[in-house]
Amino acid sequence: MKPTKWITALLAAAGIVLAPAVQAQEDIVIGGSIPMSGVFAFAGIGIHAGIQDYLKIVNDAGGIKGRKFKYVFEDTAYKPDVSVAAFKKITGGNKVSLYYGDSTAFQRTINPELERMGSIMMAGASLATEINDSKKYPAQFMAGPDYSEQIGILLRHIAKEKPGAKVAIVFSDSEFGRDPVDEFRASAKKLGLTVAVEIQTAPGSVDVSTEVIKLRRADPDYTIFHGYVLAPIPEFVTQMKKSGAKSHFMGTFWTMDSSTVMKLGESGEGFMGVMPYRYYYDTSAKSPMLDKIRQMRPEYQSTPYLQGFLTTMLFVEATKRTLDAGKPLDAKNLKAALNSIKNFDTGGLIGVPITIRGNSIPVGRIYKADMKAKTMVPASDWIHLE
Amino acid sequence: MIDFDWLLLFEVSLAGIGSGGLYALAGLAFVLIFKATKVVNLAIGEMLMMGAYFFFAMASTLGWPIWLGVVVAVLGSGALGALIERLLIRPMLGESPISVFMITIGLSSILVGAVELIWGADQMRLPDFMPSDPVLIGEAMVPPKIFYGFLVATGLIAVVLVVFRFWRGGIALRATASDQAAAYSMGINVPRVFSLAWVVGAMVAAIAGIIVGSISSLSPTMGVFGLSVLVVVIVGGLDSVAGALVGGIVVGLVEAWSGTYLGGQYKMLSTFSLLVLILMVRPYGLFGTHEIERL
Amino acid sequence: MRIGAAKQSYAADEALFDSRTQRIWLGVLTVALVVLPFVASQYWLYLTCLVGINIIAATGLNILTGYTGQVSLGQAAFMGVGAYTVAVLDRTLGTPFFINLIAAGGIAMLVGMVVGIPSLRVKGLYLAIATIAASFILHFIFANWKSVTGGTAGLTVKPATLFGLALDSEFRFYWLMLPLTAVMVFGAANLFRTRIGRAFIAIRDRDISAEVLGISLLRYKLLSFAISSFYAGVAGGLWAYFFRSVTPESFPLLMSIFFLAAIIVGGMGTILGGILGAIFMTLVPEALKMVFGWLPNAAEMAVHLAPVRIIVFGILIVGFLVFEPHGLSEIWRRVRRFFHLWPFRT
Repeated sequence: MKPTKWITALLAAAGIVLAPAVQAQEDIVIGGSIPMSGVFAFAGIGIHAGIQDYLKIVNDAGGIKGRKFKYVFEDTAYKPDVSVAAFKKITGGNKVSLYYGDSTAFQRTINPELERMGSIMMAGASLATEINDSKKYPAQFMAGPDYSEQIGILLRHIAKEKPGAKVAIVFSDSEFGRDPVDEFRASAKKLGLTVAVEIQTAPGSVDVSTEVIKLRRADPDYTIFHGYVLAPIPEFVTQMKKSGAKSHFMGTFWTMDSSTVMKLGESGEGFMGVMPYRYYYDTSAKSPMLDKIRQMRPEYQSTPYLQGFLTTMLFVEATKRTLDAGKPLDAKNLKAALNSIKNFDTGGLIGVPITIRGNSIPVGRIYKADMKAKTMVPASDWIHLE
Repeated sequence: MIDFDWLLLFEVSLAGIGSGGLYALAGLAFVLIFKATKVVNLAIGEMLMMGAYFFFAMASTLGWPIWLGVVVAVLGSGALGALIERLLIRPMLGESPISVFMITIGLSSILVGAVELIWGADQMRLPDFMPSDPVLIGEAMVPPKIFYGFLVATGLIAVVLVVFRFWRGGIALRATASDQAAAYSMGINVPRVFSLAWVVGAMVAAIAGIIVGSISSLSPTMGVFGLSVLVVVIVGGLDSVAGALVGGIVVGLVEAWSGTYLGGQYKMLSTFSLLVLILMVRPYGLFGTHEIERL
Repeated sequence: MRIGAAKQSYAADEALFDSRTQRIWLGVLTVALVVLPFVASQYWLYLTCLVGINIIAATGLNILTGYTGQVSLGQAAFMGVGAYTVAVLDRTLGTPFFINLIAAGGIAMLVGMVVGIPSLRVKGLYLAIATIAASFILHFIFANWKSVTGGTAGLTVKPATLFGLALDSEFRFYWLMLPLTAVMVFGAANLFRTRIGRAFIAIRDRDISAEVLGISLLRYKLLSFAISSFYAGVAGGLWAYFFRSVTPESFPLLMSIFFLAAIIVGGMGTILGGILGAIFMTLVPEALKMVFGWLPNAAEMAVHLAPVRIIVFGILIVGFLVFEPHGLSEIWRRVRRFFHLWPFRT
């Protein structure tokens, strides 16, 4: 992927979408704190494209009730304070109804402000367990399972594949990493799995040899990595495999982009992980929406792209339902409309119809790396947590 | 505990000593620069990073053979070191060490930004060039990268020690370190020595960076490694080459033990507690020169 | 051109603002600051509030580093202590905000003094490194003392309330921030007209000489640490009320470097320097964003904004140290002198 070329194309598309046109009715504004640069840029660029593409589809079809969507974003470099500033800037200059936030820290920080304003429904890149609480975060949601639910899906798959297996979790010493550890313990117990070891790695630590030694001692059947994008997963996997350990390795959403997993190289063969969406190239079942994406963009699109795309789809659906009911667009109505979504067909992005009860969509599927074909292949059915 | 796992302790300690070798190597780069120029270089972690990225550009992007990539990356880093010395450090001669220290803070920021601008902020992997089969010492298994990294590190430190002892340039460097004015009057070209120290320091840093980068991955946040290096050189003594080796191994062991027996979140805590302890008890480090201040 | 000012008392000579022109300009500035929230957009008010908080923290660091010569890279961690103090008090006791803010300053002050203890044994760069260690140790405490700090998820804070009015918007918060910043800045300016302040300066210029002159290094170095961290604590407390969410990640080492950069750029050892530096460094990213917006292929270049911001940050530090070590306040002084002496050449 050539970033610059790619972005040019995107922005050209954006130019078309955002081209000012005389409209009878007010545009519906989707704001976005998007990490176009910095450590999370790989996701931000995908998310950005996903949002734009879905809006293009909607706007080309005439919008909702004659009203078009307008997307206003700022780069945040994945810094919560910059993200807050972007929020202030965008909401100060536009009448924003929907907003895409870029991190747990930002979405938590801005939450009191959201409640005070009462006019914006937010979703975002954060899949933190904390956000999946409709009492504490009444105006927010996430277009996928939260981290605890992802771990739950993984463990359920393990329990089915090998009952009573020994499982280990390796997580980073950060908010992101520590998020699902309690759930890991509880869920493993419930499913009759044995927790072999829990290993916490220091943030930014270079050498994980001592942790690998510890993991090797515990000799788990399955090892789940959480709280990383890539490093230090490759080092763990390589060292473990070379020392003859039998463990299977698994990851969570932000690790699971196809290009990231492929960086594991040879030793990544069989690396598994939970994915809430179908991969771009997954043609195992009919998926009109993926067909449309593949038509718009002939080259591979990342999993963050799909996340941005689906989030926007849900934004639009909630808006449509609110307007259909003749209610004003505010946080309460939008969220109520979102929660009224039952057995909704995402056009095949998610393999099963979805129902949104709280703040998350607790559905996912296990995919497995096939290094020869350089693709991720489905390794389980869609798993739906209650 | 009765059934204390001695093999675990042994393996963990070996891994600790191994990664200590890497700390020592990075510490060596720091000490070389400090010894000659009295500059506390906070950008040492970022210089490591630059070396690793240079290597990435040669070996991965251009697809050159590994050995050539290493050589060119090391030479490139040396040139960068010379450039830094000439542009940023030379104008500050005679200023307070604190100002120069802050210059290196600025420098680290510039280097991080440059890497992000050229290569982006995504994590990248270096091509594997070290044997990947674990090394067996007795019953204990040592991760290969750590093992070979340690060999390279100790080898280089030995070379530097010998060079300091016998080579003219090394002697000039030591002379400058002990008394600048006297070195000047003996006909030593002190500015040249300064440049030399930065060039050699940057080259050593590049080698350390390539090894560190191949052990984990490349990213603009790699410079965090420099903070641990700071602890290493404080423990060993800012101006002692042997101190860097000892300090590196001490820090490596402390990290390995605390990581294993307490948990990953205690690694940073224990290294920095060690730092505070050393500062309180023996501020000039285990092998450093104790400077006496006069009015 | 300005001619001599007739001063008839020492008080007049020592006054912070010694001429009528200065007082008039001060009046103009006050009026402008009072009018500002009524005309500025929400976004600019947000930035102004952030600038105010940064001014307090930078001024605090300036007292320690600029005036006493003790380099510290722990200012952000001390701010964190203040922010957590506010958050914890707010949740447990529910005390009013001014008590919380003073407590925030007080606790940060105590922590600062503990961190300052090594300053008796080590100095200069060793001290700077010790403060880095202190920030990591504090970060560890923030992240792991779960029962008090809420662990990595941190704590949320209710908005400050004044006479039953929640200060939850930028507009309202501004009226808390402005007087507090003014008080803190004037406090700092006045500090250097006292024995304590002058002792600080003596220590900076040559600590051994200062000791010979009868200044107790122990006492005054610790005092400087205490005052500086008090400022940081208050700034951190304000920060907590402003963002209303405090996490361990909120106060990274980079933030300490930011404050150090602010006083370098603004001018170390002048009150004006801390103010100008904080304003300048907070607004540079905005200016950059604007410049990027003017570029012909603006949209394409947007991805490069963040790295360029990091580079510019570094270049500012290096550039000011090499070319203008006395910072913006020196430039400001030169501009003023030009007008004072006009039409003569300076």
